[in-house]
Amino acid sequence: MSLMPAIVNGISIGAIYGLIAMGLTLIFGIMRVINFAQGALLMFSMMISYGIWTITGVNPYILIIIVGPIMFCFGYIVEVTMIRPVLKAQSDVREPLSVLLLTASFAVVLENLALMIFGGNYRMAQSSFSDKTYSVGDVFLSAPRLYGLIIALVVSLLFYIFLKKTEIGRQLRATGQDRNTAALMGINAEKTFAIAFGLGTALLSVAGLVLLPFYYVHPTVGEVFMTRAFIVVILGGLGSVPGALVGGIIIGLIETVGAQFMTASITSVLIYLVFLIVLFVKPSGLFGSPFEW
Amino acid sequence: MKKVLAVTLIFCMVFVFSACGNSSKNSGDEIVIGNLLPLSGTAASLGKIGKQARDMAVEEINEAGGIKSMGGAKIKMIYADSKGDSAEGVTQTEKLITQDEVQLITGCYQSGVAMASTEVSERYGIPYFVPVPSDDQITARDFKYVFRLAEKTSWRNRDQVKFIEDLAKQTGTDIKTWAIVYESSSWGQGALTALKKYIPEAGYKIVLEEAYNTGTTDLTPVVLKVKEAKPDVILMVAYVSEAALMTNSFIEQGVNPKVFIGTSGGFADPTYFDLVGNNCEYFYDISTWEPDVNRKYSEEVNKKFAEKYGYNMNAEAVKAYSAMYVIADALERAGSTDPDEICKAMAETKLTEGPQQCYSSEISFDETGQMINAPLVISQFRKVDGVMSRVTVWPKEEARTGWEPVFPYPGVGNGPEDK
Repeated sequence: MSLMPAIVNGISIGAIYGLIAMGLTLIFGIMRVINFAQGALLMFSMMISYGIWTITGVNPYILIIIVGPIMFCFGYIVEVTMIRPVLKAQSDVREPLSVLLLTASFAVVLENLALMIFGGNYRMAQSSFSDKTYSVGDVFLSAPRLYGLIIALVVSLLFYIFLKKTEIGRQLRATGQDRNTAALMGINAEKTFAIAFGLGTALLSVAGLVLLPFYYVHPTVGEVFMTRAFIVVILGGLGSVPGALVGGIIIGLIETVGAQFMTASITSVLIYLVFLIVLFVKPSGLFGSPFEW
Repeated sequence: MKKVLAVTLIFCMVFVFSACGNSSKNSGDEIVIGNLLPLSGTAASLGKIGKQARDMAVEEINEAGGIKSMGGAKIKMIYADSKGDSAEGVTQTEKLITQDEVQLITGCYQSGVAMASTEVSERYGIPYFVPVPSDDQITARDFKYVFRLAEKTSWRNRDQVKFIEDLAKQTGTDIKTWAIVYESSSWGQGALTALKKYIPEAGYKIVLEEAYNTGTTDLTPVVLKVKEAKPDVILMVAYVSEAALMTNSFIEQGVNPKVFIGTSGGFADPTYFDLVGNNCEYFYDISTWEPDVNRKYSEEVNKKFAEKYGYNMNAEAVKAYSAMYVIADALERAGSTDPDEICKAMAETKLTEGPQQCYSSEISFDETGQMINAPLVISQFRKVDGVMSRVTVWPKEEARTGWEPVFPYPGVGNGPEDK
């Protein structure tokens, strides 16, 4: 039995898990806020992308330059109008619980709003390349998955460089390490938070667009990916960008390769098992900093 | 913090009061029927079409003078949202019975919800009419108040095997091995049990039984495993989201068996074709009704539905629609809303005339409450004038005139319609 098809397909879906988790890990790493609305925001961005795609009919990947900024602004506004006031009221708490509840309820609102406006039907953006498949030997990989893998890798790399090399990236990291000290050094922590949330949301829009040509759009699509994203983030290390990508690929591989040896419905048990082992051996996750906890 | 708390409390109160607000009692000129449907969640689209079909039937019945033996009483429907979840279904059934005080319940899409919620109604002694869920167990528990219009899952599987046997013989195709891909909840497991009986009985071998969880992110792992097993027949049990992902992945991965066959559910969902495009060409599916099926009233009812809501009915909608006529007939004969009277009338049902014949020419129930001889047909997904459609191909007497099944599977774009 050849495992190559499973490995290749596992990596391709795993990279997308990683991309979804990246926004979550960024927001947590910098704001110490667990964003329960991550799945709903993914769904929301997929719906916007689907809407624009139906009207214009352009290649979904080109839409990144339109939907990315829209979602950045959306995330920025959500942070300023909703999260910031609550965060301020709890500024003396390290991990503010009410923000967590706020994001969870925001997710419920978004999902039901989508159900009201969009209805309960499943839709898919069937593009010209949706049915195309590349094959090498017995390894088949559909075009949208291959492009998705490439885009996920490129975006992760760009984002990593952005965090390491640019001034805003440095400010983001500094705020993440110690928001008070960062503020003393003249960094506007509030603005940095809003940027972080906006960036986290914009990253999601990329994940959404990558999914669009081969995955369905539905008000519950966020829930499907949400649990995966949480496991990926904790496996890779909370707040670590490379950790999210590697964690995602690991989950994708376990899921796909594991299914070749056991019933697919049991692979989720395997995922949690690996997850538990990692937590036992290295509680901070694969790439997390051990000093954080 | 106080403000947040206050706002939350107000919201809670609003919800509680609005929940109390819509409870209504049975008055003299109105018969209230409780309906449990998945109006939100992953099966919301199926819940919606079920609700529309019921509303259309109730509208017709009320327009025709309501229930005459009760002084022309009108039927009023109360809908409760099961969210497709068994626990929620139990809560909502309890609410329908205790708060809304309904004398009769109908509905459900998922078998799991039906299994759990019928236990509640049985405890209260309220008749529960189940038009759609097909799990064998629903009518196998010696319940007194449960009636089912749908076929049993095992009958569907029996006819799937029979169909393949029949076609293999007709076309001289060599079929030996089967792979079964099924969703891991009550419905899928019921199907598996039946298939494990009928497939070996017909002399075939099951080479792979693969379960997956509903709401899973990716079905490529399953598809790769099926590909490796190289079966002659791939039989799929899935709701619409997974049915679509599975179909697309099978084609992407170049899997090429002799037959792809679905087990209704997601494959019969009206949105399925939008999700898979041409990928489903030459797949087979089993159901109890098709828009093109050769049955009395079938065309008219579907035409009216399509004009009203903008799309065709599916088998579930037809069953939901017919169910309201069966209920109306039972109420007519019972002449009261007493649960036991309704039950007695329901058990004596023998309907041979009326619009519900779009589903079956004769409707009657056995002592377990199961509809006798629920009709089954096989359709193939074909391009009719360039548009993907369900074409009824088996059994011959109910098939669309002029269409023969394409057997074995030629691959997308390699069949007679593409030349």
